[in-house]
Amino acid sequence: MKFFVCCKQVPDVAMAFQIKDGELQKDDLNYVLNAYDASAVEESLVIKDAVSELDLSLVLMGAEKGKEALRKGLAMGANDAFHIEDDAFEGSDSHAAANVLEAFFKDKEYDAILCGKQSQDMDMGLTGGLLAEKLNIPYVTNAVGLEVNEEAKSILVTRQGDAGQEKVELSFPCIVSCSNDMNEPRIPSLRGIMQSKKKPMNKVSVADLGLATDAVGKSGSKSTLLSMDFPKARKAGEKFEGEASELVSTLIDKLTNEAKVL
Amino acid sequence: MNFELTEDQKMIRDMVRDFAKKYVEPGILDRDASMEFPHDLVAQLADQGLMGMVYPEEYGGAGVDTISFALAIEELARYDGSLALTVASHTSLCTGHIAQFGSKELKDKYMPDLVSATKLGGWGLTEAGSGSDASGMKTTAVLDGDHWIINGGKLFITQGSVGKTFVILAVTDRSLGNKGISAFVLESDMPGFSVGEKMDKLGMRSSDTRELVFENVKVPKENLVGELNHGFIDTMKVLEGGRIGIGALAVGLARGALEDSITHAKERVQFGKPISKLQAIQFKIAEMATDLEGARLLVHQAAYLKDQGKSFGVEASTAKYHASEVGMKICSDGIQILGGYGYMEEYHVERYYRDMKLCEIGEGTSEVQKMVIAKSMLK
Repeated sequence: MKFFVCCKQVPDVAMAFQIKDGELQKDDLNYVLNAYDASAVEESLVIKDAVSELDLSLVLMGAEKGKEALRKGLAMGANDAFHIEDDAFEGSDSHAAANVLEAFFKDKEYDAILCGKQSQDMDMGLTGGLLAEKLNIPYVTNAVGLEVNEEAKSILVTRQGDAGQEKVELSFPCIVSCSNDMNEPRIPSLRGIMQSKKKPMNKVSVADLGLATDAVGKSGSKSTLLSMDFPKARKAGEKFEGEASELVSTLIDKLTNEAKVL
Repeated sequence: MNFELTEDQKMIRDMVRDFAKKYVEPGILDRDASMEFPHDLVAQLADQGLMGMVYPEEYGGAGVDTISFALAIEELARYDGSLALTVASHTSLCTGHIAQFGSKELKDKYMPDLVSATKLGGWGLTEAGSGSDASGMKTTAVLDGDHWIINGGKLFITQGSVGKTFVILAVTDRSLGNKGISAFVLESDMPGFSVGEKMDKLGMRSSDTRELVFENVKVPKENLVGELNHGFIDTMKVLEGGRIGIGALAVGLARGALEDSITHAKERVQFGKPISKLQAIQFKIAEMATDLEGARLLVHQAAYLKDQGKSFGVEASTAKYHASEVGMKICSDGIQILGGYGYMEEYHVERYYRDMKLCEIGEGTSEVQKMVIAKSMLK
């Protein structure tokens, strides 16, 4: 079996962000493997632990630093990685990213492509669906469990819905977007980290993919990010303590005279 | 000149940081109170490859550099000084002594089990009347046919009861003073080897500290580590490496104090604003951060020199001395910033303070480090 996991490197959301003139200040940020993608890697490795012949490749589109996220996945246990890196990607939206991934996958053989259900930085959750559409293969979102049936060449996906969980069977090849509720990604061992240096890290450029430069970056995008800003600070609420009868009077007074909603 | 960590070093640091946050931080208060040795955590550290990381792959290690080792110790000490001490002492002292000075046969026999932590290692220099000054050493080793007969005892031995493999210093020729001391590998199940009661301590409470007693312990002749009568000289070299670990441990504890102080200062409101807005607190934080960074740079410098195969003894003493002394101040200031909370165990900084005190004492007191530094300045 052959699985791919699409990875993205994102700013560590535990850090404090700075926005200046509508733009995120990137200099002081630490970058990490997107947590949802890490869950997709982990789930693939759980299957690989049970089905030893599973070959797991990672693919990441992004800047030079992105190789750090790929090395993390390799240290966790993936077999090899593809790093699609090109200056032409700057400003890509989900649509342009899906163009690149479509071009990457068109001559690849695979049973399943896993991806995170969204990225922690932009929270769009679009790339997996767009890629499935472009590759014309089945797609299920928000997976919390996977069971592979090798003989039937299918995968049974447990997905989390609003009201409960659904089980959906997909035939290979397919795309599954993964929730971080699916598992707890393993911490790479020291041995894994040292071995990850020796695993293949294949560089891929826009030209290698046969893509025109206007199919990627801003010109290949269907949306434009105009500016970023923090949510407006809200005034802290008031807390009242005391006897119920007093509290009710205070509340009615506030709602009538201050909030003027009664 | 380059102050950037390599990609490998960053990955190792991040891995140990994730491990410490996930597995070491939970339960730390219980471990400190109960003084229970965390066998499960040590087994997890071994699975993670962290109990002998600097040693060659042929012995099951990862062959990583000393800077990576220092980073790992700092990350563990950020939450748990006791656990960091267990890893540092196991790696640098017992295993380090055999790795540096043992015969190939001794290395092949003992290193794999030490590196995998299948057997924990302890190291015995200190006695009731002897430590950095070995002239009062009472433990003796007398050759009897194919065996050394060892009598005496050691005090304050880390991994004393949980260790299975020990390197012990003993007098082999009293007339030669420090040059009449030799090192031997002892196994805890050798007849005549016994362990004293658990010692109640100020800090580092879940690391295992015991007295060892040797009564006619019969040790095979080939368990002599290094040359006969060269044990104390080798010991000084072993301690040089160990001091990098203790320096890193002090850095980790101090970082814990600083990070917890910053969190508290931002949350604690007094006089209508968080105390982090008060210059008195800001200056303390600035001093703590500066002292911490200086200490870390000294530790990394000593580790770098060791990795380059250069002389690093004085730098290791400087790093340990400075990191532990400023570490005490950082922890004390941390308690002050937290005020009453800082005095309470559940806010952790008082534990960092108690644990830190060991860094001024273990593997040579601050005074001994100053002797080493002064000797190199005044030669």
